[in-house]
Amino acid sequence: MTAVGIRHPMLDGAEKATGALRYAGDLEIEGLAHAALQTSPHPHARVAAVNAEAALAAPGVLGVFWHGNMPANRYNSSIWFEGQEADEDETTFPPVVRHVGDRVAAVVATTREAAVAALALLDIRYEPLPACLAPEAADRDRGPLFEEDGTPTFRNPVAEQHFDRGDPDAGFAAATHVVETAIRTPKTHHCAIENHVALALPEPDGRICVLAPCQSVHAVQVVVARALGLKARDIHVVKTPIGGSFGGKAEPVLEPLVAEFARRLNRPVRLELDRHQTFTSTRMRSSTSTRIRTGFDASGRILARETETLIDIGAYVTGGNYLPGSMLQRHVRLYDIPAERYCGRAVYTNTPPTGAFRGYGSPQINAAGEIHLDIAARRAGFDPVTLRIRNAISPHAIEPYTGLDVGNARLRECIAEGARRFSWDMRRATSGGAGRFRTGTGMAAAAHINGCFPGSEEATTMTMALCADGRVEMVSALHDLGCGSNTTLAQIAAEVLSLRPTDIRIVDADTDRCGYDLGTRASRMTYIAGEATRRTAVLLVERIIQAAALLRNCAPDELRLGQAGVEDLRSGEVSRMAALAADLLGAGLDLPSATETYAAGANPSSHAAHFAAVEVDTLTGLVRVKDYLAVHDIGRAVNPMLVEGQIYGGVQIGIGYALFEDVANDMVTGRMAGDSFARYILANSLEMPMIEVHLIEAGEPTGPFGAKAVGEIATIPVAAAVVNAVNDALGSELTHLPLTPERVLAEMDPGNQ
Amino acid sequence: MDIFPELNGVRQHLRVTPGERLSSALRNHGLTGVKEGCLEGECGACTVLLDGEPVCSCLMLAAQADGKEVTTVEGLAKGTGLSDLQNAFVMEGAVQCGYCTPGMLMAAEGLLSVNPAPTEAEIRLAIAGNICRCTGYANIVRAIARTARERAAIVADATGGTAA
Repeated sequence: MTAVGIRHPMLDGAEKATGALRYAGDLEIEGLAHAALQTSPHPHARVAAVNAEAALAAPGVLGVFWHGNMPANRYNSSIWFEGQEADEDETTFPPVVRHVGDRVAAVVATTREAAVAALALLDIRYEPLPACLAPEAADRDRGPLFEEDGTPTFRNPVAEQHFDRGDPDAGFAAATHVVETAIRTPKTHHCAIENHVALALPEPDGRICVLAPCQSVHAVQVVVARALGLKARDIHVVKTPIGGSFGGKAEPVLEPLVAEFARRLNRPVRLELDRHQTFTSTRMRSSTSTRIRTGFDASGRILARETETLIDIGAYVTGGNYLPGSMLQRHVRLYDIPAERYCGRAVYTNTPPTGAFRGYGSPQINAAGEIHLDIAARRAGFDPVTLRIRNAISPHAIEPYTGLDVGNARLRECIAEGARRFSWDMRRATSGGAGRFRTGTGMAAAAHINGCFPGSEEATTMTMALCADGRVEMVSALHDLGCGSNTTLAQIAAEVLSLRPTDIRIVDADTDRCGYDLGTRASRMTYIAGEATRRTAVLLVERIIQAAALLRNCAPDELRLGQAGVEDLRSGEVSRMAALAADLLGAGLDLPSATETYAAGANPSSHAAHFAAVEVDTLTGLVRVKDYLAVHDIGRAVNPMLVEGQIYGGVQIGIGYALFEDVANDMVTGRMAGDSFARYILANSLEMPMIEVHLIEAGEPTGPFGAKAVGEIATIPVAAAVVNAVNDALGSELTHLPLTPERVLAEMDPGNQ
Repeated sequence: MDIFPELNGVRQHLRVTPGERLSSALRNHGLTGVKEGCLEGECGACTVLLDGEPVCSCLMLAAQADGKEVTTVEGLAKGTGLSDLQNAFVMEGAVQCGYCTPGMLMAAEGLLSVNPAPTEAEIRLAIAGNICRCTGYANIVRAIARTARERAAIVADATGGTAA
């Protein structure tokens, strides 16, 4: 292996490190106008009137847009292909706003400052409506949340998923131990450092070009078309570099607006949210409230499990109807449980809408399941590691919900190897303490998916071509979110083509150039796009050999592609790719190219076991993560440095999820308490421990060179591992995330509140 | 109003408004490596060196930079290519999405200029005002430590191995 398995630096690393890379907010375009957004201060209100007279008279103002002069087509921002069925409850500017931060109006002006200044001149008349802010209240009544809203789909529950397997009642009846707990996870925000931004410009052929940091150009295309009542072919979408996404930029939020502004004003328009609006007016991770009951036999074998989860998806459905099912899918991939009963329910509330966020339901259900399991272990007297190994799913088990083979799933090794490397038994023997600082050790295991099979058309189309300069160009709907997926794919291509990764030129997603694709989501890049890359490269090698054989008038099997180029096995003569390309062009022959569509036929599990050691300050309630180990069943690491990078970053988001992060919607006003970096706490450099990573590379037969996904699973077990360590330190049963100092102190001294 | 800062080593004439942030003035001048992530001094993406000290340029008025030396990420590399710190960031995997990178580099450069041999804790403290959402800071800390080591080695070479 010369390219796969190498710690290759990111291909666009230098452009980023010099500040030369232009993100959407950095682009300078002749005649660019700037939009500013007015958002709702009310959690639920009719926008009765917008008087724009004063704003329109202000210097530099080009237009004011609101529901009175914008398209009223209903759409769903989570769709990814034209004609996809989905509840459609969004409009560009809704006549009835449904959450604090909902879109009310926009001003477009020649400068951003002028646009922002003119917002203050808008005279907006709201008619406030009653709001439902708590998911429990939303779950109480079935049917329309409020008659006033008028959207037929605004009714609860949004979706309900039931799953029954075996005979749970018999399992509970036979159980030696039955443990029940309730766990709550907060709404959290992606907090990508690049705020949400989109840009649109009229093209000479009458189309509108949308430039945006996005996760699927095709999704942007269909959502914009649907929202504006246009055809997808009227919209040209180009992905710009992404300053972080984590799922936050998966759904087009601003793109329909700027596309319409650009169309109406016939000039380029950019809308860039500030940090506050990025918090209140985009998407976030849904909150959950989960009750789990598990029955164990005397040896710790799980006999039955019952799970009921209530998911607050916020004010618009987006893809929230999929959450109960996707949470179930991950829930049943971790342990081999003979009898299972599951009910997942998603409900609307008048809070900001939720969507994809690194794991799509997995972090929520994993936190619930793994915190529950630890509490059960303590109550029943089992060691958490032994209990998990005893019940862990085995390689090639059949996952009961979708009926799919989980592939070469190495969950048991993750847990056992992690326990050994983290000196689990020794650390656990010294947990607790009597002084101000208590120490604890916890762990959690996780399972996640690789792509969308069998749920969607899970396929990637790729074209590779030999260029005249001897490099290979790779065209597909590729959206590197900053994780280095382009580098990973280039390494796979380079391995097959005997080139260097820097010899692969990747064309970023552009609807004019690439075939349809789901985009970067659902842990599908390395596993799905990576396999598409490998197959296309194999075909291109064949075509290159054929072309060279034609040129040399020999049989293809008399040639071989090696590191130095195409080698003639008869003479030993080698021609480099650039020379071969020149010879082909000189002889009037086409440069070889190859196109492949790879459709997945499997969806193996990626697994992980994470271990955390914490110190709890019983005086302040502050928790510090002191030591951390992440063990991952990765199949094979195409680029170990990038894999580690994913894990480090995943642990950071997970520690925030466990200890700090919560947008904390106020239950009276509907406003977020955590709506800025000053009030939404992240794990920064000082809160982060050094993290040890161990990779188990047992190879997944269906993955490219054996590789599986890591991006999402890296963050999934973190919260439970940290919470379990805190509970170990205090002998507590904390289950309400995040473990803020207030909650930690209240747990230790329940009387003192 | 007119201000005359020395931007990346060259005296420049900038026309700014009295209430304009330094970050905005720098970006309007084409230095878009200066990122604005929060405009309240919390994320550090806009960090530049002002007379050698790291500052959040979003919390300063452009007028305050009049007559001062301002170094942005664009001024780190002498000539073409990467500075040693930039190279260490790329090679250690300290760069992911890249949006925090310019500010992070400036905070690190500010540290190394006053503390050429920082401990891990000192490095973490120096970048505590810079939010990175991708990397968990692990490789950023490594890249900064690596640069400190490399610079020490160069000094040691130049002084016959006697430098600390």
